[in-house]
Amino acid sequence: MTLFHFGNCFSLAYFPYFITYKCSGLSEYNAFWRCVQAGATYLFVQLCKMLFLATFFPTWEGGAGVYDFVGEFMKATVDMADLLGLHLVMSRNAGKGEYKIMVAAMGWATAELIMSRCIPLWVGARGIEFDWKYIQMSFDSNISLVHYIAMAAVVWMFTRYDLPKSFRLPVTILLGLCVYKGFLMELFVHVFLLGSWTALLVKAVLTGAISLCSLFLFVTLVHSN
Amino acid sequence: MFEEASEVLENMLKWSFPLSLVLFLVLVCPLRAEAAHEFSVYRMQQYDLQGQTYGSRNAILNTEARTVEAEVLSRRCVMMRLADFSYEKYQKALRQSAGAVVIILPQNMSTMPQDIVQQFMELEPELLATETIVPVYFALEDEELLSIYTQTQISSSSQGSSSAAEVLLHTATANGFQMVTSGAQSKAVSDWAITSLEGRLTGAGGEDLPTIVLVAHYDSFGVAPWLSYGADSNGSGVAILLELARLFSRLYSYKRTHAGYNLLFFLSGGGKFNYQGTKRWLEDNLDHTDSSLLQDNVAFVLCLDTLGNGDNLHLHVSKPPKEGSPQHALLKELEMVAAHQHPDLKFSMVHKKINLADDTLAWEHERGIRRLPAFTLSHLESHRSPARHSIMDMRSVSSSLEGAGEATAGPHVDLTKLSRNTKVIAEALTRVIYNLTEKGVSGDLEIFTEQMQVQEDQLASLVDWLTAQPRAAQLVDKDSSIVNTLEYHLNRYLKDVKRHLVRADKRDPEFVFYDQLKQTMNAYRVKPAIFDLLLAVCIASYLGVLYLAVQNFGFLYGFLRRVTAPRVKQH
Repeated sequence: MTLFHFGNCFSLAYFPYFITYKCSGLSEYNAFWRCVQAGATYLFVQLCKMLFLATFFPTWEGGAGVYDFVGEFMKATVDMADLLGLHLVMSRNAGKGEYKIMVAAMGWATAELIMSRCIPLWVGARGIEFDWKYIQMSFDSNISLVHYIAMAAVVWMFTRYDLPKSFRLPVTILLGLCVYKGFLMELFVHVFLLGSWTALLVKAVLTGAISLCSLFLFVTLVHSN
Repeated sequence: MFEEASEVLENMLKWSFPLSLVLFLVLVCPLRAEAAHEFSVYRMQQYDLQGQTYGSRNAILNTEARTVEAEVLSRRCVMMRLADFSYEKYQKALRQSAGAVVIILPQNMSTMPQDIVQQFMELEPELLATETIVPVYFALEDEELLSIYTQTQISSSSQGSSSAAEVLLHTATANGFQMVTSGAQSKAVSDWAITSLEGRLTGAGGEDLPTIVLVAHYDSFGVAPWLSYGADSNGSGVAILLELARLFSRLYSYKRTHAGYNLLFFLSGGGKFNYQGTKRWLEDNLDHTDSSLLQDNVAFVLCLDTLGNGDNLHLHVSKPPKEGSPQHALLKELEMVAAHQHPDLKFSMVHKKINLADDTLAWEHERGIRRLPAFTLSHLESHRSPARHSIMDMRSVSSSLEGAGEATAGPHVDLTKLSRNTKVIAEALTRVIYNLTEKGVSGDLEIFTEQMQVQEDQLASLVDWLTAQPRAAQLVDKDSSIVNTLEYHLNRYLKDVKRHLVRADKRDPEFVFYDQLKQTMNAYRVKPAIFDLLLAVCIASYLGVLYLAVQNFGFLYGFLRRVTAPRVKQH
C-alpha cells in the first residue's frame, strides 16, 4: 500500500534494533564491525544448515493438512547449529559477558532481519494491496531480537565453567526451548488453529517468558560471585 | 557510530559496486503486486456503423469501487449486480461521471427470474444506443467477487449515516477495493475482414436452371461481444442451413432425385451489423462478375433467422409475392405443410415495407430486395425483438420431454422445435423443387422420414458447438476456428465452397470495430490514507514506549539483583 506503509513497517522493524544498539552502550565499544562479523557468521551458519537439510532430509510427500511432526522435529533439531554459531561468535570476542552476548545477539538478529524481512517488505508492503501480514512481520522481527538476546545469554551461560550444578538443568531446558521455539509455535498454530494475531501474541508471551527466565539466571550467576 | 559505519561501508563498497548495481536494478524494477482477486471482465460493445458511434468508448480503469448506494460516485467504479440492475441506477452513475461501471452477471443464468432477464434484454439496446466515455464491463460472479461486492456495499451505504466519530473510525478501518484493468486504451481495429462462406449444389439438366438461395448469418450480437453466444439468433439458422445442405446433397446424389434447381447456400458474416456479408456478396456477384448463378434465374432467396423455438413461423416479405411466382409457390407450400403435418405450428406471412428512413435494415432479405426476390423466415414476429441481440440468448436446451419445471429464462433453442422447423422448411422446399403439388401429391406425404429424416442429434451437436464460444463479428476473423469448421462442414456436402471477404472501405467505412474487448481486472484491497497516518502514530508511540523501556532497563536489572541477592546472603 504505497511507500508510506512500507515506511511504517520498516520503522517498526528497524528502529527497535537501532534503539537497542544505541542504548545498550555498544556504540562506546566500537562494536559495529564485530556485529557485522557476527552477521557474516549467521550467513555462513544458515548456508550450512540449508545444505544439510537439502541433502539429508527427503521432501514430505504426504497429503496436505497432515502435519509431519517427526519430520519438522528433526528439521528443528538442525537449528542446533544456531547455538554453535552463537558460541563461535562469542568465543572470538574478548570482553565482559554482557558485551559478548549483546554483540553476538545484535549482529545475529540484524543479519536475520536484513536477510529474511527486507525483501518481502520491499516487494509486498509497497504494492497497492494491503495485508496485515507486513505489520505482523515487523512485530515478529522485534520478538526475534529479544529471542536472540535470550538465546545468546543462555549459550554463554551454558559454556561457563563456573556454572553451579543447580543451574545446569534450567539452562539446558531453556536452551532446548530456544531451539525448538519455532517448532512449538507451528505445533500450537496447527493444533489450536490460531489466527495470525493470536499466534503472534503467543509467540511474544513465550519469548518473554524465556527471556525473563534467562535474565533471572544471568543475574543470579553474575552476581553470585 | 556513523563514522565507523562509513569506514566499514567504504571498504565494502570498493569491491561490491557490481553487487550494489544489481541490487539497485532489482529494487527499482516495476512492482507486480498480488491482488485480492483477479477475474476476467468483458467490455461492452464499441463500434461505428455507417459513421454512427455506439457503445462504450473507454477501456482502462484504475479506480476505487463503490456501489450505487454511495453518495459520491464520480471517478469511482460503480458495481452493480444483475438482480439489482435498473436503467435509472445506470443513468445515475453516468450523470455523476463515474469512472467505470461493472455489472456482475450470475454464472448460471437460469437462476435468474424471468422478469429480470426480460427487463435486461429490453435494456440492452438502450445501453448501446447512448455513446458513453465510461468503460462498462461485465463480469461473471463467483464467491470472491460476491464477497467484494458485499463489502463494498456495506461501506458504501454506511457513508451517509451515523456520527462523525463513527465515520472517522469507519473510514480508518474500512476495507476498500481498487479496481485496475491491465490492458491499454481501446483503438480501432484496422483492416478487419468479415468472412462469408458459400457453396452450391448444381441441378440436373444443363444450363439456365433456376436457382434457390438459402442464406443464414452466423454471427451473434449482444451488449458484450465476448458474452454473446447467440443460440437462437442465429445459431439455429446456421444449424438448419447445414442440415438442409446435408439432406439436399443426399437427394442430389441419386440420379433419380436430382432436381432441376440449383441450390446456393450462403453463410454470411457481419449479419448483426446491417448484413455486411450479404451486401458485399450480392454486390460482387451482381455488379462485378460476368457470370454468376445469381445473375440469371433466381427463383427466390430464403433467409433463415432465429428458428430455434416458438410455435409460430413468420415469413417476412417486403412486398407480397405475385401469384404464379416461385415465391408464391413456396408460401403456399409452407402453409400446406404446416397445416397438414404440424397442426400445432402457426404459419403466417408478415408484410413489412422497407423503411428507407431507418438507420439499419430490418431483416436480411431487405439487402437483396433491389434485384432479387427475397424473404426471411423466423419465429419472431418483429425484427426489433430483444431476443435477436441479447447476451441472454445462450445454450441451455430444454427439450419438452424434460419436464415443465426446466424452463430457462432467456431465449434459447428448443431442439424438438428446431428439428420440427427444419423438417417443415425441407418439406416445403422439396415440394417446390419437385413441383409435387402440381403433380397431385397430397399435403400429408412426409418425404423426410426414416433414412432421410432430420437428424436431431446432428442439430444438437451443431448448436452445442456454435454456442460453445462467442461468435460476435468482432471476434471471428478469417483464420478463426469457427470459419474453418463451417468451411469444412460445407465441403462435406456442397461443391465449390468459397470464402468471401468483406473489408471496410478505407475512406468511408461502413463499419469500424474496436479492440480491448476482454480484460483481466484486478481487485486490490486498499486502506484509506488516514489509516496510514493512524498506523504511523501508533508505531511512533510504540517506539517511544520501547525507547523508554530500554533506557530504564537498568531498573529491571536492579530489581532482579535485589531479588536474588537476599538468597545469596542467606546462604
